[in-house]
Amino acid sequence: MSPARLLSFSPEAFFALFETYNRAVWPAPVAAYALGLAALALVFKPMPGAGRIVAAILAAMWAWNGIAYHLIYFAEINFIAPAFAALFVLQAALFAWAGAIRGALVFRFRPDFAGWTGLALALFALAGYPLLGEFAGHDWPRMAVFGIAPCPTTIFTLGLLSLVEGRARLYLLAIPLLWALIGGSAAWLLRMPEDLTLLLAALAVGGAMWADLRRAKT
Amino acid sequence: MPLFSRRAVLASLAGFGAVSALPRAGHAAPQPILTRPIPKSGEMIPAIGLGTWIVFNVGRDAALRAQRFEVMRTFFEMGGGMIDSSPMYGSAEDVIGDGLKRATISGGLFSATKVWIWGRARGVKQMEDSRRLWGVRRFDLMQVHNMVDWEAHLETLLADKAAGRIRYVGVTTSHGERHETVIKAMETGSLDFVQFSYNVADREAERRLLPIAAERKLAVIANRPFRTGDLIERVARHPLPAWAGEIDCANWAQFLLKFIVSHPAVTCAIPATSRADHAAENMGALRGRLPDESFRRRMIRYVEDL
Repeated sequence: MSPARLLSFSPEAFFALFETYNRAVWPAPVAAYALGLAALALVFKPMPGAGRIVAAILAAMWAWNGIAYHLIYFAEINFIAPAFAALFVLQAALFAWAGAIRGALVFRFRPDFAGWTGLALALFALAGYPLLGEFAGHDWPRMAVFGIAPCPTTIFTLGLLSLVEGRARLYLLAIPLLWALIGGSAAWLLRMPEDLTLLLAALAVGGAMWADLRRAKT
Repeated sequence: MPLFSRRAVLASLAGFGAVSALPRAGHAAPQPILTRPIPKSGEMIPAIGLGTWIVFNVGRDAALRAQRFEVMRTFFEMGGGMIDSSPMYGSAEDVIGDGLKRATISGGLFSATKVWIWGRARGVKQMEDSRRLWGVRRFDLMQVHNMVDWEAHLETLLADKAAGRIRYVGVTTSHGERHETVIKAMETGSLDFVQFSYNVADREAERRLLPIAAERKLAVIANRPFRTGDLIERVARHPLPAWAGEIDCANWAQFLLKFIVSHPAVTCAIPATSRADHAAENMGALRGRLPDESFRRRMIRYVEDL
């Protein structure tokens, strides 16, 4: 059986939805890239309150994806999308509470496995993911755009969570890792090879966290 | 293997009525189309309907909506009547409603949709939403989709039928699932229609569902006639046998559909397509001869050997 037939919509309708969505929310992609680059800059140039700002940026992106993408657009063709929206809004609330309000998150690059993994994933989400999509035939406006579409946003988030100082925040990782599995299935269901990287990102971050936990125990 | 007799098949074929068909220029010359009676009322409906799963769920995209409108236009021009959908199918009901506003419906729309939600009150609201999306005053057929909360919804549907808000009541399943629950519903005696999967490769329904439907005088809608495209893709790798011409099949779609609608207990098959040319091929199955029992066995053997 063609895997696309496991879904209630066709790949054709899915990419048409991206076109409608991307055109409707323009210039949100520009703002998303500006915020993403700002977050990355704050990871390299920490300053007072930087963690709160980065967390607030991530919270805004997850809330946008939950409400604008999943609830308003994707729900038109996918009856499960409202549940996805709830997950994304919950993740936004977790970032807002833990990072923006409590100030418990410090994002900082460090030259170890977790640090390089995080940096690579963040840069990949910004530049590599759209290029890979382009090679697969998914060019503007029929593409998942960083910051306003779930998959590149999740890869970026996994990258930044690898750069959080101190012990791994598993409660912040749970939903992005879950989405890596759900979104990663699009590689097979919707013929989006760029989404295979979600699964690789999850493995890389999971591996880095496991290494961190082992180090902490010893 | 089929359990019905040659006599049953012949009696059924005699039951196929002819309604005037009126294709426009560009399609086959006008000739009678195959219709089947709804057992409980005797009302005749075309034996090929239009399914909307996946293919009509195209969101707001104007180009894709225009393509689906062409499918609907071809369907109606070639004598189609029943369109079947569900709130589960995303934007499909909205796309149908959009098409119905523009389509010229020559033979008469037979509107069929479903209720697919837990809770009686939410079901009422969902059906109201469906009426608004389709732009119809009332549905001809309302079905409980995949038996979700079927006992609660059945009460609503029977009340709606008594009040004239719908004309027929049914239940559905697919993929060969939930047959015991479907049989329980069929045995309540309150249904007019039942819908389940049936095609030349998936014939489990011949064992119990189709005989019970015939015994209970229920109209049968056969879904997944092409196994959501997989079956037709599989057979289309091979040439259509020359003997398919003996039942006036010009392509594999007609071969597969004529197998289904020639079963004496089947009222209607509902192939879904996103292409107008494929809709025209499907609707071609409404014309010409149908297979008898021995011919159906030959069709089964041929497909099994592919």
